[in-house]
Amino acid sequence: MAGILKAPGVFSITPHKVSVCVLLQVYAGPNQLCIPYPFSTVSQHNRLGLYLLALTKSCDDILEPKLEDLINQLREIWTSEDWLTDHLTSRLSSLSSADDLFNFFTEMRGILAGVENGVVEDDQIILDPNSNLGIFVRRCILAFNLLSFEGVCHLLTNISLYRKEVLSGHVPYEDELVDSGRDIESTTDYENMDLENFVYERVTEEIEAKRRAGKKIPFHLHASRTLVSLVEDFKIPEKTKFKESCKLKEASPYQASMDDLFKDMDGVFLCSNWQIQGYLSQQADAIEKECNSLPLNAFELILRQLESLAPELHRVHFLRYLNCLHHDDYTAALENLHKYFDYSAGIEGCDIASSSGNNNFGRYEVALLYLGMLHFHFGHPKQALEVLAEAVRVSQQHGNDSCLAYTLAAICNLLSEIGITSTSRLLGSSYSPIASMGTSFSVQQQQFMLLRESLKRAESLKLKRLVASNHLTLAKFHLLHVQRPLLSFGPKASMKLKTCPVNVCKELRLSSSLITEFNTENSVMMIDGAQSTAWLKQLHKLIGSSVFVDESSEIRSNADSFFAQPSSVPGSVLQLVGSSYLVRATAWEMYGSAPLARINSLVYATCFTDNSSSADAALAYGKLIKHLATYKGYKAAFAALETTEDRFMSVSKSQMLMLKLQLLHEHSLHRGQLKVAQCLCDELGFLASPVTGVDMDLKIEASLRHARTLLAAKQFSKAAAVAQSLFCMCYKFNLHVQNANVLLLLAEIHKKSGNAVLGLPYALACLSFCQSFNLDLLKASATLTLAELWLSLGASHAKRALTLTHSALPMILGHGGLELRARAYITEAKCYLSDPCFSVSENPDVVLDPLGQASEDLQLIEYHELAAEAFYLMSIIYDKLGKSNEREEAAASFRTHITALDDPQDETNEQYN
Amino acid sequence: MRFGGSALSTLPSSLPSPLVLSSCRPPFLLPIFKSNNFEKICLNEFNNSKQKSFDVLAGFPEDSASLNSPMSSKETCRAELLTAVRQLEERCLYSASQWAGEQLLGIELDPAKFTPSNTRFQRGSSSIRRRFRTNEITSTPLAGVSYVSTPVMEEDDVVDGYFYFAKSCFMCREYRRAAHWLRDQNGKKAIFLRLYALYMAGEKRKEEEIIELEGPLGKSDAVNRELVALERELSMLRKNGSIDPFCLYLYGLVLKEKGNENLAQTVLVESVNSYPWNWSAWSELQSLCTTIDILNSLPLNNHWMKDFFLASAYQELRMHNESLAKYEYLQGIFSFSNYLQAQIAKAQYSLREFEQVEVIFEELLRNDPYRVQDLDMYSNVLYAKECFSALSYLAHRVFSTDKYRPESCCIIGNYYSLKGQHEKAVMYFRRALKLNKRYLSAWTLMGHEYVEMKNTPAAVDAYRRAVDINPCDYRAWYGLGQAYEMMGMPFYALHYFRKSVFLQPSDSRLWIAMAQCYETEQLHMLEEAIKCYRRAANCNDREAIALHQLAKLHAELGRSEEAAFYYKKDLERMEAEEREGPNMVEALVFLATHCKGQKRFEEAEVYCTRLLDYKGPEKETAKSLLRGMRMTQSGFPSMDVEHFPP
Repeated sequence: MAGILKAPGVFSITPHKVSVCVLLQVYAGPNQLCIPYPFSTVSQHNRLGLYLLALTKSCDDILEPKLEDLINQLREIWTSEDWLTDHLTSRLSSLSSADDLFNFFTEMRGILAGVENGVVEDDQIILDPNSNLGIFVRRCILAFNLLSFEGVCHLLTNISLYRKEVLSGHVPYEDELVDSGRDIESTTDYENMDLENFVYERVTEEIEAKRRAGKKIPFHLHASRTLVSLVEDFKIPEKTKFKESCKLKEASPYQASMDDLFKDMDGVFLCSNWQIQGYLSQQADAIEKECNSLPLNAFELILRQLESLAPELHRVHFLRYLNCLHHDDYTAALENLHKYFDYSAGIEGCDIASSSGNNNFGRYEVALLYLGMLHFHFGHPKQALEVLAEAVRVSQQHGNDSCLAYTLAAICNLLSEIGITSTSRLLGSSYSPIASMGTSFSVQQQQFMLLRESLKRAESLKLKRLVASNHLTLAKFHLLHVQRPLLSFGPKASMKLKTCPVNVCKELRLSSSLITEFNTENSVMMIDGAQSTAWLKQLHKLIGSSVFVDESSEIRSNADSFFAQPSSVPGSVLQLVGSSYLVRATAWEMYGSAPLARINSLVYATCFTDNSSSADAALAYGKLIKHLATYKGYKAAFAALETTEDRFMSVSKSQMLMLKLQLLHEHSLHRGQLKVAQCLCDELGFLASPVTGVDMDLKIEASLRHARTLLAAKQFSKAAAVAQSLFCMCYKFNLHVQNANVLLLLAEIHKKSGNAVLGLPYALACLSFCQSFNLDLLKASATLTLAELWLSLGASHAKRALTLTHSALPMILGHGGLELRARAYITEAKCYLSDPCFSVSENPDVVLDPLGQASEDLQLIEYHELAAEAFYLMSIIYDKLGKSNEREEAAASFRTHITALDDPQDETNEQYN
Repeated sequence: MRFGGSALSTLPSSLPSPLVLSSCRPPFLLPIFKSNNFEKICLNEFNNSKQKSFDVLAGFPEDSASLNSPMSSKETCRAELLTAVRQLEERCLYSASQWAGEQLLGIELDPAKFTPSNTRFQRGSSSIRRRFRTNEITSTPLAGVSYVSTPVMEEDDVVDGYFYFAKSCFMCREYRRAAHWLRDQNGKKAIFLRLYALYMAGEKRKEEEIIELEGPLGKSDAVNRELVALERELSMLRKNGSIDPFCLYLYGLVLKEKGNENLAQTVLVESVNSYPWNWSAWSELQSLCTTIDILNSLPLNNHWMKDFFLASAYQELRMHNESLAKYEYLQGIFSFSNYLQAQIAKAQYSLREFEQVEVIFEELLRNDPYRVQDLDMYSNVLYAKECFSALSYLAHRVFSTDKYRPESCCIIGNYYSLKGQHEKAVMYFRRALKLNKRYLSAWTLMGHEYVEMKNTPAAVDAYRRAVDINPCDYRAWYGLGQAYEMMGMPFYALHYFRKSVFLQPSDSRLWIAMAQCYETEQLHMLEEAIKCYRRAANCNDREAIALHQLAKLHAELGRSEEAAFYYKKDLERMEAEEREGPNMVEALVFLATHCKGQKRFEEAEVYCTRLLDYKGPEKETAKSLLRGMRMTQSGFPSMDVEHFPP
């Protein structure tokens, strides 16, 4: 059908509007008195007026409040007596024939200050026909006059239905119906719910559902409660009222099933288009923030109801898509995405569209963009690239610049997240600037060009959020890649093969300057309907606090909130700014500044978690816990992990799970439980997607740990083989930063296997990598390894080793973790000890001090092997010094550590497995 | 072809079952045809419902056949149907009664008892039809299927004036009045008629309200307001055990409309098991069988009506061959049933045997010239064959028979579409949709029209609606894919093609469309395209696009062996079908060059010689190829082409 564009809502007269008219008549009745009859004070009168104003403003509705809701609200406002509600119901019930309605609307005309009267007396309270209320009355009258006789009849039956729902709650036969009716209804709810989605549902949810069924709680009650707790954070006020409404619902299933959703919100009436839009976008945020709290099916049920209520509201499909996406239901997500775009043609309710402010934005290329992101989310890089390339093509074709900018940004993100060896085919064919420059470029060069292109577009289109996120991606790029000149022919004049931290900082600063720009921008950026929900919250607060402390001021503040714009920064901006802090934290982690990394994650965790997605928040918490583990030992880390675990466990590809496995692995490695370690690292490997190029970090992590486990098990050649293949993989995907780590590991392997000469080149290579990527802490640790290598070449190299160790010490002591520090101390001590010129008896503290420190640190992280070494050295020194007591002590400690290493107990691990 | 030479434009979607269809028509549009359309249900008089013999012969699977000879089975069927028609009609279940009547007429009279003059008006004498009848299972029933013996119901004996008056009110479509006069009647027949009248009153009001309150996008929340009361009363009746099969049917209908499909299914099964001749009940049941598993899990008694049911259910589930087999078996008994013929035509249509469909419909129209049901399918066939005048004749005919039927509008729309007047076509499809909002094929066809008019968003919208009505409609999925492909989004379109291919894996056109999508220059995923073409070639690719494309793609990818194989196959096929054309030349040239490259000179010579029959540059190529071969073979440069006939 041509029904792409919705017909504007028709203002039709409904029972609810009739009630409002009745109230208006009371408010502005043709009285001669200053304050008309039922009102005792002026403020009371005004309060009704404000309430009516609010009602008339929400008249562009999908669903209107029931009479019951209206009466309840009136009771709240009208604390003194029931006159008003009685008047309302009696007036409504007096409308029993078509003629009554005609008369009623003729009377309505009387409350308008008509032209025919000519004079308006001062005292008389009469509506100005051009005021809001006046216009409402006029519209009602007009709509009534336009009705055909059938329409009038409909109105009459509707009014009687509307009225009956309040009055006839207890018609005799309804009671017997309640039982059977409820059974049937609840079963149907269950079945409908199960039919499609149950199959795809994850096991956990199945269990949950079973438990729910076991408890025999009717499903819809359950659903509604979660709904209430999600929508607003108020408590369900009165149980009785709630039940009553349920009963009513069954008494007249047809009327009620239409809107039990809304009724269940108990008092809040969510009716205008805007409000539903607002509700939906709120839900969208909620899904992203904490999908675990929102069971797939419960929300699905709500959405289905919404869909049947308002079939023209296509956004519902989008929400369904989001819901499925965050519950990892690929098929359903795909299906709903297509459905949404088929219906909306990419125009309606698209956040990108509203933020760009471009009216003819968005046709089907937006669909491609979203589809690309979907594939990206589910880890199908090939499809994602294919789709995004198509999106680029189509948006170029349609001249949709902002979509193009977004798509380019998405491609950049994809490229930076996913290891791709060659993009020449994919992008070469689709994106002309790159295609024209040929395919000889490396992936990074292409990526860099794309990034700059996207940034340029975003800047020229004034897509501020996109600009910010592009700056972020650029920062990440600068962090990870050495920038080479794009044209590499000719004399290589000034090639500085180093990453540039200044660039990273600059980009980061640029990205977070977004928040300042936001103050100048007004609420155009606000997502539809956000205000409406804010307004709703206000209203509810007002009603909830039934005692008005200071009537007039309360009302005024309330009235202000009807019109005032909430001035807070939109959530998406906060999210972006937050992620810039996360990037900062990662950057400092890489550069090797532990305190700065920690502070940035702390800032994120304290300031931005409210607006961030749960995955990001999990990342920040993960960083903090990791920090704890390296600097405070495992006990503290595990304690922290336990407290945060519940919150993030259900996040897909859970950061927390990974972190836990990593920590456990490290821990068991230190304690010498190699079998457990191997299990854990295998488990970590299974978390990664089997697709090549996806989850690279995880894969690298897993095989690094695998090599380390092998190393601890003294299977040197196997460990070396694993590390070699890892190196090849990293090289293939251009992951140089990770390669520095691998090189260091290789050096380590050769050191442990006793081939110090072979280890040297690896250590040196690692050093040069660290230099070009500014990895200071890693450099220090590589220097330390280098020192150890030299040391193992013989006593003649002890001096050199000592110098190297000393050069690395400041960095290590300032930023290194417990393990690294201990290693440095031990190496230092060993250097002294093996130096022939050094005599222990002269200054024993030079060696004893570091060893003491090292043993303390090592005990904290339960690193038995190194600790044993430290105690061994100590006991020898004490022996030389002739301090037998201390020697025995150290020897005893040595023994405990050695036995612990040989005979690992795993009580703590049980706890975590 | 509607556009772009892609093959599918001739795919109109299947009709919903005729009974469901007719019920959706707003009655006030057709004041003249008072009797039918609305009456989903018919009544029959089994008030005491003492079904005497209701014994399912133990053990479903084949044991002793209760029907010894075909003739006796025909006789039983006839007797049963005869009672059924009367019983259904008594209860105002007109369309079921009509259906039963149609089958009754479809039973061949025993030639031993009747003179030729009696059978003269029966159909089937046409020689054309005989020719096309595929197999001659004339009248042997499937061996060994045992049937439930016929339940006989006792009629209400107390039928008084109230009932007849109420019934006549019902016939005059004064439903509430009918219900009112039956309010104190306790006979089963009266109870049913009262409830049914209430239901009909609600339906009528609902239809009116839909028109009165039509919102944007055809949204309407009109409901049958009687459903609640009806459900209450019917569930009471069922609890008491005093419910008869007809009320059960009504109960099922109410439950289904309220969305309680499981219970509806149970109730309907009960209904058809105790009274199998109510076709309306069967078709309601069939609409609830959305998967083969549901269908197989139904505890149905073995009555011959079950065969009708299964056949139609199979058809809906796209098991066309199974369905066709069932229908052809049924034709052994009901040799002259129009209904069966139409259904067979439908199955053949799904199998794309257009010739047969056309013959069947010609026959059908000769016998029953005012039948409108299923004719839209005939118009689709005529459309596909581009028979302008036949289609216009058909359109005129249905127009004068009953112009306010969705089928009629659809046929007229098809005619305009064939004429290239797409706006008018859309108008008529819209009218069809106004008459029945859930008329699947109209949505799909309208989508096709919008595609023609290059209004892709509207087309997408229309197709999407069709898909939402029936997610198994592969034509609409295909249309969606096509629309997106037109917009230059081949990768996006693939999702839709995948869907349609999944639903109809035996249709080569869908595979070809998908392959072409893979082949587009933007995607250029030739391996996938080859896979699709291979599937297409395996399932009866009529236009032989697939073979040619396969050969070409293989050649493009440098796999000359495979290319030669497919070219050869294509060539054989063209020879068999006596087609000529550029494809032929291309194949010959390739094969000649290929054979020459492989040093199979004799073969190459054959191809070259054949090429010499053609004009144009290929002839020269052939000549030079021949010359080259001669040279290498004999080492003699002077061999000339003049030896070969031009």
